[in-house]
Amino acid sequence: MSALLEIRGLTIDIERDTGPARVVDGIDLAVEEGESLGIVGESGCGKSLTMLSLVGLLPNRIRATGGSARFAGQDLLALPQEALRKLRGSQIGFIFQDPMTSLNPVMRVGEQIAEALIHQSGMAKPAAMERAAELLELVGIPSPRDRLMAYPHELSGGMRQRVMIAIGLAGSPRLLIADEPTTALDVTIQAQIVDLVRDLKDRFGMSVVWITHDLALIAGLADRIAVLYAGTVVEDAPVEVIFDRPTHPYTRGLLASLPTLTDRPMTRLPSIGGTPPEPGRRPPGCPFAPRCTLAEAACDAAVPKLAAVPGSDPRHRVACFVTAGEGGRA
Amino acid sequence: MTAGPIITPGDDRPGSLWRDAWRRLRRNRLAVAGLVILALLVLVAAFGPWLTPYDFLSQNLDARNLPPSMAHPFGTDDLGRDVLSRVIYGARTAFLVAVLVTAVALLIGVVLGAIAGFYGGAFDKGLMWVTDMTMSVPQLLLVVVINASLKQPITLWMEARYLETLNPIYRNSAIIDFVLVFGSMALISWPPYARLVRAQVLSIRNRPYVTAARALGLTNRIILTRYVLPNAAGPLIVAVSAGLGTAMVLESAFSFLGIGVNPPTPSWGNMISDGLRVWTNYPHLLLAPAAVLAVVTVAFNFLGDGLNDALNPKGQK
Amino acid sequence: MIAYILRRLLLWVPSVMLVMLGVYALAFYGAGDPIKLIFLRAPGDVAYDPVKIEAIREQAGLNEPFLVQFGTYLLNLVQGNFGNSLFSGRSVWAMISAAAPVSLLLGLMAMIVTALVAIPLGMIAGMNQNSRLDYTILGTAVTLWAIPAYVAGPLLMVMLLAILPKGAMPYGWGGLFSVKIILPLIVLSFQPIALIIRQTRAAVIDVMTEDFVRTARAKGVPERVVALRHILRPVLTPVVTQLGLIMITIVNGAIFVELVFGLPGLGRLTVQALINSDYPVILAVTLIGSFLVMASNLLVDILYPLLDPRATDPKASRV
Repeated sequence: MSALLEIRGLTIDIERDTGPARVVDGIDLAVEEGESLGIVGESGCGKSLTMLSLVGLLPNRIRATGGSARFAGQDLLALPQEALRKLRGSQIGFIFQDPMTSLNPVMRVGEQIAEALIHQSGMAKPAAMERAAELLELVGIPSPRDRLMAYPHELSGGMRQRVMIAIGLAGSPRLLIADEPTTALDVTIQAQIVDLVRDLKDRFGMSVVWITHDLALIAGLADRIAVLYAGTVVEDAPVEVIFDRPTHPYTRGLLASLPTLTDRPMTRLPSIGGTPPEPGRRPPGCPFAPRCTLAEAACDAAVPKLAAVPGSDPRHRVACFVTAGEGGRA
Repeated sequence: MTAGPIITPGDDRPGSLWRDAWRRLRRNRLAVAGLVILALLVLVAAFGPWLTPYDFLSQNLDARNLPPSMAHPFGTDDLGRDVLSRVIYGARTAFLVAVLVTAVALLIGVVLGAIAGFYGGAFDKGLMWVTDMTMSVPQLLLVVVINASLKQPITLWMEARYLETLNPIYRNSAIIDFVLVFGSMALISWPPYARLVRAQVLSIRNRPYVTAARALGLTNRIILTRYVLPNAAGPLIVAVSAGLGTAMVLESAFSFLGIGVNPPTPSWGNMISDGLRVWTNYPHLLLAPAAVLAVVTVAFNFLGDGLNDALNPKGQK
Repeated sequence: MIAYILRRLLLWVPSVMLVMLGVYALAFYGAGDPIKLIFLRAPGDVAYDPVKIEAIREQAGLNEPFLVQFGTYLLNLVQGNFGNSLFSGRSVWAMISAAAPVSLLLGLMAMIVTALVAIPLGMIAGMNQNSRLDYTILGTAVTLWAIPAYVAGPLLMVMLLAILPKGAMPYGWGGLFSVKIILPLIVLSFQPIALIIRQTRAAVIDVMTEDFVRTARAKGVPERVVALRHILRPVLTPVVTQLGLIMITIVNGAIFVELVFGLPGLGRLTVQALINSDYPVILAVTLIGSFLVMASNLLVDILYPLLDPRATDPKASRV
């Protein structure tokens, strides 16, 4: 497998009146061809911004200021807007969080899907509509031809997210980025959507990046998980390694806060005290140190680098002075 | 929504809202420019008689229609009157009408809005109908109708008073004009204030702490003065600033149409209207009042926009 | 859809009636006795004969109760009879139908100019929020909004004096295709343009932050398509709802523009009627003005569900 996407040292800043504030601080990430990567972290840790920066969709006043992001051989951060636009949809597809607000309320869903085809692959309108119906069928929407003429508000939440997925798939992208696509949905629908994306990934051999704050949800979907904290990757390992041998204190905290079947009723789940640093106010050392129960003097002095964990899976990397050495132990 | 900033008795930093607003306003250069222009104008209007080089009525038939010069910076008109002096007196007229109209409209609006908000029911429904209607008739036509309607009864009443008292004040046509103009303007200007206050009353009346306080015997008057008006202050200030500007424009509009302040009392509106008759030969007669009115209305708008941004920060348009 | 329109109409008719009643009441109680007014105006040699006046009053139905008179007025109105001018004795309907085309053509053109100029400028300003371009457009809009037509018109003419000879100044009505229409049209469009620039800009800034705009970009559609289909379309909805306000601005503005540029339209008719205290004419033009505004509001109500499919419930929209 070769890396389809390789992000190196990516930094993203918010421009404020008082000066720039860093939100993403040197992220290193790679996605292999056909792989599905889960990116896990609290809201505000920079996971969505990292992915949006790849295709030039950062909001106003937020900019990628350093690093590189090579996708299929070219550096996305150096590409001009027009080249990025051609890439969007056709090479890199997106599914967004809230299908209610992410679909245009005054446009029929068929047109919203067909639009991508018309402008990306130069299809004529009737052919594009035909293809849109196929896509709707593919994502499991019953009587797709009738649905083409529906407006988003006439569909249920789960149906809307399926439409969203159809839009993301329309250009047959090599990489599908799903940005918390189930957060706004009911629990039962969430599982359906996860299953659907896994099926589609296997069927088309795409790479998938799934952004979430819900570790449990993507356990069954991701091959590999990267844990983000305050704009940096703190741990990156195959999914089973993350669950069996979580090494970074933050990852351990996240896992400990998941309920399990063996928990006795009414047990209080452990939680991580404190809050992540605000952008522009990160501590000089390890960003997690102020909340970390294992922190030592060294943690406040320097930022730990992401490094291989000795004795663990060769792909297991962690950024921690204290626990990296004990990788063999769980 | 126009739900204003909330000041509750428990606010730990009293006055900080106003300080913040003032700081935001000062950062807005256009608003500051507007404020300075209007402050200057208020001074000019207030000290007009001591500033004007000539009396606004004094005619000099040897110096008619003179172009601007050192002696007459804005030139003279067809009766040889100094245009600058008349523009300065026009500022007095404009401000007097604007302030009176806005004060009356504000008073009517606050009282009616508060009653409608507190008592609801038929009065509230009726008031909303009236404001809806008032706002769907073109303002100017409405004033025209009201003005036309008021003219007859007021003139007759003044005549009767004169015959009764022989006080010459009842024969003064300038006063009749004045009462007519600002009366009809006030009658169409109160609805926005009424709606604003009503909305505030409705939103505050049902807050839990007010309900709790009512149980302890809080009267409507106290709710109005302690809760509603402080909360409505921000939006009301914005509305008053806009209202002053509108009233000033309306006054000049009526005077321009010849139904407002009539000559010889100087008003920018009647000066523009006079200037329009001879402007191809003496453009300065038109330019002076028109330019001053334009600058003042633009100043009001910049200040109003600035106040709006400063007092109703983000998300509340 | 038809049911929706009917429902709107049912709500609309009573409010129009109420506005008419209000305006009529103002004129009825304020203006005083029209017959007496005619006699007061008459040359001195006509004798002021109370008995004769009373007879004429009775004959004209002026002794009827207020509501009956209002009803009669409405009935006549529906038949195109607005009564006669107190001043010239001519039929008010004739006076209005002579003047209306000028005003309607001018107003309609002003609306078209407004849409063509203001919506693109508002889009540009909103999509480049806080840029120098945005500030320039916004500052111009505030200025245009602030300056009334009777100031803007004369100021423009004084400026034109620098390049045009005195005799070539546009004055009067030369029809829709005469060059004389240019200046009045520009001046009449100033305030509506300012209004729509600001509305469009605010709506664009709102829509730009919507998730679906990001979705459109993520699909890789060209920026031009994003602007026209995903931003302009939703922006039009709040902008179109301003039609009533635009109508008010144009009706107000037309009064001055017609006066300044000597156009024989409804605005000038109003001013003349006002100076002459010609109540039937004032009443008629006020009713027409209010009717135009209220009709615009009705039109907006009817158009709204076409612009925003969420406005009517799903069942109604499938009719």
